[in-house]
Amino acid sequence: MSAKKDREKRREERLQRESEAAENARRQRLIKLGSAAVFLAIVAVVVAVVVSQSGTSGGDTELENVAEVETGLANIPQHRLTLGLPTAKVKLVEFGDLQCPVCRDFAVKVLPELIQNKVRSGDARIEFRNFPILGPESIEAAPAAIAAGEQNRGWDFIELFYKNQGIEQTGYVTEEFLTSIAKGAKVVDIPRWNRDRRSAAAKNEVKRTTGEAERLGFGGTPSFAIEGPGTNGLEPLGTLGSLGEFEEAIDAAA
Amino acid sequence: MSAPSEGTLRAVTTFVAAFGIGVATYIALAESGGGAPACLAGGGGCETVAESQYSDLAGINVAVIGIVGYVLLLLTSLLPGDGARMGGFALSLAGFGFSLYLTYLELFVIEAICQWCVISAILMTILFGLNAFRMLHYTGRPQ
Repeated sequence: MSAKKDREKRREERLQRESEAAENARRQRLIKLGSAAVFLAIVAVVVAVVVSQSGTSGGDTELENVAEVETGLANIPQHRLTLGLPTAKVKLVEFGDLQCPVCRDFAVKVLPELIQNKVRSGDARIEFRNFPILGPESIEAAPAAIAAGEQNRGWDFIELFYKNQGIEQTGYVTEEFLTSIAKGAKVVDIPRWNRDRRSAAAKNEVKRTTGEAERLGFGGTPSFAIEGPGTNGLEPLGTLGSLGEFEEAIDAAA
Repeated sequence: MSAPSEGTLRAVTTFVAAFGIGVATYIALAESGGGAPACLAGGGGCETVAESQYSDLAGINVAVIGIVGYVLLLLTSLLPGDGARMGGFALSLAGFGFSLYLTYLELFVIEAICQWCVISAILMTILFGLNAFRMLHYTGRPQ
């Protein structure tokens, strides 16, 4: 009887050892596979983030798209930060932040055709008003655009800035960067541009347009407003997306 | 309460991944002609996100990358064994991490929310939970 009990006890102990060994093996396998999976996932995400950001690096004094900007704006009158014929019936106002990536997307994806279809034809003129909301670097950049506008190179400055924009608030809006944009925009008198952008008048102008955007109820950039024979003064449009929406708004205001 | 069987987990994962394929396909189709998905509550968030420079990754639309991810997750849910368990976990963890990055971009860089992207992020989070549970409970166990 006792021999039988011993055998059963030994059998139970063996089974328990086997079960523990199997669980240990499972745990080891889980750790091995889990670590490999976590490693692969982290590598995949890091690669995706780096690739995603690499297309937006910008912020370099080795400027890109200088010729493209010049060609896009060639032979269009500029006065301060207004682009287009002064006689154009409709005025489209963009409240923008030079650091804002959505403003850059507007400048790259919508503006070229809008300029071609509505500004070159003399139907509308576009005015850029600074609404620097993203931080100190935006506030630093805004008067520089105004100062370029004093030499009627404001739109070249704005367009070139957008096309070389870096990642916001990463310290790329340096003196060197702003100067390289001004030179690329063919601002002729750089010492004057430096004086103008540091002047109280330029800073006050930024405050004025910022206040105006807030009064119009805007909270983000780019926001738009329009004025023409068909509007009651300057009317807010808010955030528009497609070229068609801008063209409709201009036609309605004409 | 006992843990759900692996069969149940795989079935739910299959369903969620199939739903994800539908959502990502809709976003990709809507953006293919230069447009944007229709934001149900309006506000233009979907357009802003679709037009941003972050809607492409190395020239490939992010929604297309999403379709590929969901299809691979669907395949791992249909396959048995540790390879599929690990593959599903790795894919869903990568998808979850990338969704977190995209949500960060929407909130703090683009400053616009696209509801379809939020739905996709939620689906990816659910898939991560399901695959993590499958991996932790069933790795090394018979199929």
